[in-house]
Amino acid sequence: MERRDFLKISAAAGATAALEGCGNPDHQLIRFVPEEDLIPGLATWKPSICTLCPAGCGLSVRVMPGDAEVVRKGQLGLLKMGLAKKLEGNPAHPINRGKLCPRGQAGLQVTYHPDRLKGPLVRTGRRGSGQFREVSWDDAIQQLVSHLSDLQESKSEGRLAFVTAPLRGQRKMIIDTFAASFKRSMAVEFAFFDDSVIRSANAASFGHALPPTVDMGESNYVISFGADFLGTWNSPVAQSLGFGQMRKGRPGERGKFVQFEPRISQTGASADEWIPVEPGAEGMLALSLAHVIIAEKQRPAAAAGHAGSLVEGWSQGLTDFAPEKIAAQIGVKPETIRRIAREAAAHDPAVALIGDAAVAHTNGLFNALAVNALNALLGSVGKPGGVLFGPVPAAKQPAASLESWAAQVNSGAAAVEVLLLYNANPVFAAPAVWGVHAALDKIPFIASFGSFIDETSALADLILPDHSALESWLEDTPVSGSGKVVVSVAPPTMNPLHNTRAMPDVLLEVAHRLGGESAKALPWKTYDEAIQASFAALYKEMGSKTAKDAEEFWKKAQEQGGWWSAEESRVTPVSGSSAGAAVKNSAPRFDGNPSEYPYYFLPFASQLFYDGSLAHLPWMQEAPDPLSTVMWGAWVEINPRTAEKLAIKQGDLVEVASPHGKLEAPALVTPGIAPDVIAMPVGQGHENFTRYATGRGANPISILSSATVEGTGSLAWAATRVTLSSVGQGKLILFGGSLSENPPELKHR
Amino acid sequence: MARQWGMAIDLDRCTGCEACVVACHAENNISTVGEEQAAIGRAKHWIRVERYYEGEFPDVTVKFMPVLCQQCDAAPCEPVCPTFASYHTSEGLNGQVYNRCIGTRYCANACPYTVRFFNFYNPIWEKPLQLQLNPDVSIRSVGTMEKCMFCVQRIKAGEIQAAAEKHELRDGEIQPACVQSCPTRAMVFGDLSDPESEVSRWAGSSRATKLLGELGTRPKVTYLQRDSWHGSEDA
Repeated sequence: MERRDFLKISAAAGATAALEGCGNPDHQLIRFVPEEDLIPGLATWKPSICTLCPAGCGLSVRVMPGDAEVVRKGQLGLLKMGLAKKLEGNPAHPINRGKLCPRGQAGLQVTYHPDRLKGPLVRTGRRGSGQFREVSWDDAIQQLVSHLSDLQESKSEGRLAFVTAPLRGQRKMIIDTFAASFKRSMAVEFAFFDDSVIRSANAASFGHALPPTVDMGESNYVISFGADFLGTWNSPVAQSLGFGQMRKGRPGERGKFVQFEPRISQTGASADEWIPVEPGAEGMLALSLAHVIIAEKQRPAAAAGHAGSLVEGWSQGLTDFAPEKIAAQIGVKPETIRRIAREAAAHDPAVALIGDAAVAHTNGLFNALAVNALNALLGSVGKPGGVLFGPVPAAKQPAASLESWAAQVNSGAAAVEVLLLYNANPVFAAPAVWGVHAALDKIPFIASFGSFIDETSALADLILPDHSALESWLEDTPVSGSGKVVVSVAPPTMNPLHNTRAMPDVLLEVAHRLGGESAKALPWKTYDEAIQASFAALYKEMGSKTAKDAEEFWKKAQEQGGWWSAEESRVTPVSGSSAGAAVKNSAPRFDGNPSEYPYYFLPFASQLFYDGSLAHLPWMQEAPDPLSTVMWGAWVEINPRTAEKLAIKQGDLVEVASPHGKLEAPALVTPGIAPDVIAMPVGQGHENFTRYATGRGANPISILSSATVEGTGSLAWAATRVTLSSVGQGKLILFGGSLSENPPELKHR
Repeated sequence: MARQWGMAIDLDRCTGCEACVVACHAENNISTVGEEQAAIGRAKHWIRVERYYEGEFPDVTVKFMPVLCQQCDAAPCEPVCPTFASYHTSEGLNGQVYNRCIGTRYCANACPYTVRFFNFYNPIWEKPLQLQLNPDVSIRSVGTMEKCMFCVQRIKAGEIQAAAEKHELRDGEIQPACVQSCPTRAMVFGDLSDPESEVSRWAGSSRATKLLGELGTRPKVTYLQRDSWHGSEDA
């Protein structure tokens, strides 16, 4: 290769000084230097956006020059380019204010993952065989265009389906517009941990179909019903900042935090009082607390307004929920309920949260409405130290749920000809009983925009790999985590490593090649044009004190990592939408006969793998789970009494069987779980997801029933019962295994 | 007097989230060792979150405690090193010069905090994962001991930057990666020789303790004990 053929790409913005004293040009590492002689390199910090969960934290990316082995125009070469070296929180971003969770920081390894797809692929073997061959982008796009043009011209009765993760902002606009330009199309959004039950409840109680923003820093009393708000729920970094402030940020004041849940979560571990509750009894418990507050005249029932009036018996003081009457059903002592109710009422502002398994029972909507009413009674809605909504308008909910879509495809009611997949892995993350795999088998042509081969993209006929987030234009409109209006935006922080293309750009090109409706609906040439147009509209709407025109506004937003309002706009809650009958107490139903399946099965979000989409990152695999200290595997949490009864020892391989399937994983005996509950982290058990995650542990989602949360279409993922037995010796790798379990004596000096 | 770097960790704020653990891996080029090596206790985490269960169901409490090198003033690891790879820097760090290390592992045996990690193999980053490496931190080869040095590369960068900009180093201007990442702001870092620094003020808290302080190691990491709620039913 000629020297001039070496591509030289410098960092897109900012001068980056070359390192001096660099011993090894291959890696640019300083070796063998005592600290006195250490000369650090200069880095450029660029804003970006974390895309790994719905919180939408702002990133600050450390970019330094380095030599990357890349293929360009079919030739391998060494390219000097700006490389992302570390992800930190963007200090200016209103949601995470410079902080970042472990998952967000590990996002770096997505870009540099050894198993990332390096260019477009076409299937050669039978579907699912994993046999693909590389093709050019031109051919790949043409293949997709030819499949779509038939649908567009309505030559066929078939449909286009677009299955994605829940989306927002301009990415959602482009996908929705693209799908809508076909006469018969279905846009399906799917995530295992979605917030649709909370959105439905908040729409009914407060008129906002949004998850709450928690102003925890000003709270004096926090009651959480199962919400893992310091780990994975809603906006965990924003909530962690608030938590630190609530605990120790206000001189002389320290709020109390009470967690109700049947299995101690990472969040519950930090509670001042952790109180186990019967699975699904969270709503009854909230109403019992409300009953005490009303009966003891701490607050009038009317204080809860519309959110209270939605609950049957509210105006009569919820007499059916007196602690003494229902304590046995809830599993909490009556005196404890009375004490917590009095404490909460006496320590303004007090706030109640509900999430995770508490809203994933069949009565999850009732539980959420009950907690909303308790919050309203405590006077914490729309107030400092309470929960806030908006000001972002709620997104339109997609028409079809994944479950009903798969059923329609399987029954033949929906003749889907072309399926497009983006950022969703439903074959892994949906219960096996939904039949997603079978539905995919029925679809003649599947194209994926995935960056990796996973259980779903392995079934694709065509793969058009997206850039990694750090290589992409990003835009996001977070819905919770800050009282400010936030529109994040970031240009790519580095040039693409591989022969990938940004998904929105590919869609735009496909639309142009198709012509007709699709081209008309999507006039932009590139994704950043669409984002810039949205910022011009934002400037027109909001104005700016610092930017003189739309151009400057756009430039400043890119430098800062987005635009956000100067003031917190606390939206006053409006009366909820549902004027219908009052909500009745409803008991949770569980799939599986209790005599045959004696244990509640509780999957939970992994602090490191989230919903399994991050199990491919070696940093996440080797970081010890906060509570179990397990590395490189999955585990089944069992109470010591249950373990003794079933003669299960720590590390035994146990079989967990539901009416819908069974799995095997090692047992972890822990005191932080009720004797009739078995818990398992979601995230491991991948059959096909890179060298680091494949064939490791088991996937609890695979044995779940298809029960839904009543009043919504959401999966009730905590509504399955199981049986348990020891089947042999398992493999449990504990980081804490070699450490003394006795805390060192901490003495005052 | 030279600066004396120290850290304070408020256990009432720590939620055990592991952000510091991943931040440390990213900043300091700590290699992952894989499943088999992890299973025999060879995983390297310069900072780890210890957790302690107390009590039986339903009266269970859990406590988290991040543990890293305590940068002892009377460090047991230093005098045992035959090659002066473990040494005390003028700013009070327990330094480790990797190319002096011959892998006797005496230091790790002497350390009561188990915060020194030995490289049983050469580290591997499967391509292109090596592109994530921080060029300011040397990678450690087989047979050497590695450990936390309060992100000495960040300390140096901060000192050089302040000198170039001709201003005094401000309290809080230098943050090790763990401190920078902490979502609850449970950790502070600074100069213990400055009584006005935040770390000095935290270290003077009535909740302040030292980990295994009775051993006489004089750690420069202070733990602030988890607090309890002082309110009442009718405060």
